[in-house]
Amino acid sequence: MFGLESWQTLLVDWRIFAQGLAQTVLASVLGLALALALGVVMGVLGVVPVRPLRWLNRFYVEFFQNTPLLTQVFFYYYGLPRLGLRLPVLAVGVMGLGIYTGAYIAEIIRAGILSVHRGQLEAAFSQGFRYEEAMRYIILPQAFRVIMPPLTNQFVNLIKNSSILSFIAGYDLMYHADVWSSYNLLYGVAYVTIAALYLCLTLPTATLARRLERRMQATWGGSVS
Amino acid sequence: MKKRSWFAVLSLALVVALVFTVAAGCSKPSKQPTIDKIKKRGVLKVGVKADVLGFGFMNPATKQYEGLEVDIAKRIAKDLLGDSKKVEFTAVTGKTRMGVLDNGEIDMVIATFTITEDRKKLVDFSPVYHVDGIQFLVKKDSGITGLKDTDKKTIGVAKGSDTQDRLAEQAAKLNIKPQFASFETYPEILAALQSGRVQVFATDGSVLKYYESQDKNTVILPDKYSSEEYGVATKKGNDDLRDFVAKVINNMVSSGDLAALKRTWGLGK
Repeated sequence: MFGLESWQTLLVDWRIFAQGLAQTVLASVLGLALALALGVVMGVLGVVPVRPLRWLNRFYVEFFQNTPLLTQVFFYYYGLPRLGLRLPVLAVGVMGLGIYTGAYIAEIIRAGILSVHRGQLEAAFSQGFRYEEAMRYIILPQAFRVIMPPLTNQFVNLIKNSSILSFIAGYDLMYHADVWSSYNLLYGVAYVTIAALYLCLTLPTATLARRLERRMQATWGGSVS
Repeated sequence: MKKRSWFAVLSLALVVALVFTVAAGCSKPSKQPTIDKIKKRGVLKVGVKADVLGFGFMNPATKQYEGLEVDIAKRIAKDLLGDSKKVEFTAVTGKTRMGVLDNGEIDMVIATFTITEDRKKLVDFSPVYHVDGIQFLVKKDSGITGLKDTDKKTIGVAKGSDTQDRLAEQAAKLNIKPQFASFETYPEILAALQSGRVQVFATDGSVLKYYESQDKNTVILPDKYSSEEYGVATKKGNDDLRDFVAKVINNMVSSGDLAALKRTWGLGK
């Protein structure tokens, strides 16, 4: 199963895996952008003093955190076309990953904002800041320090979760490994190879984010571990 | 910084260690003849399809597997263990059937498994018990009449099948470039066809019959694009079991039992 021949067969077909890697990176990067945008907006909505907006935040977070990602993606892939919206498979993947991860990020942002002492907001008001200004200049920068570490985990999770594209013929790394290995019947080498490739994506992401976090702690006078 | 890169090295080392553990596990040969092992266990473990009407199908009403391949499994159990009920069925798909055979979870695969030269290197096959061919299921209003109409269209196939390779070869001769999308199960390909994700559902005609019956807006096209010879697969190295199965199949052919079973399941020519 892990003989030299198996590895040779895999090397001959390296282009297939390279294509898969490219698609996985593309889906992850775009998904991440969508997740961040949705997460920040929805997270802030979770603390604004307008009740319907907070309800919107609750609905979004609870619904998308508590249903399986695969179910959501199947709905976008098979269900939406019946409602007249047939998105390309990459868009389905980005949408699925972005909306799902966005729900987790929203919760992280909300918790981060709430972790900043109330007195900070009151102090900002007393200095004549409007609500949006207080958020932008006083609260969010402080919340960011609390937000960064769990956010990193979400980035890494999103990259790993991108493998669900394989279930909707998404031409990602997992899909190509599935198709290639089930045709060649060489499961071992294929999955070990893509596990290593996923590590190549996730480890640098985690490392980079950690370094960023440390720099920010230094800037903001936090303790440097 | 140092600490982080150590973690990376450690993770990769773990992966490598895993590879060697699995590899070591694979190369261990079993001395005991397989048939003795099955007799001691008292039950034959067979991988069959659960969604191919007439071959291997889990009847939702009776909760029993039924079909030609299920009957062949029962016959092998009768000849081997003296009781056609001593079979334990496991549902497999094109993607999973090799894995469960390889890890010893099942003794044999009887699951619309086409005999190919590549697969012969990895498993042992019995003599042919059925011949089928790749056909297309399309929407009636699609205007597709055959492979020639599939340029730049998407053809849905099953993961682990040889359908894509067979069709790609013939498409290249016609100088057209269809796209392929592989799915885990047949119902997903039907859903993809219905939602317009793929324009063609391609697999063996016998499989398609059931899905055609599930959707009145679809039709199977008459052209066949391959000759798929089904065989019973056993794990390499289990020569005693392979020879036994071959004998059972040959007996079923010569006695006319196989032909009778095919008529029962509506698979006769």
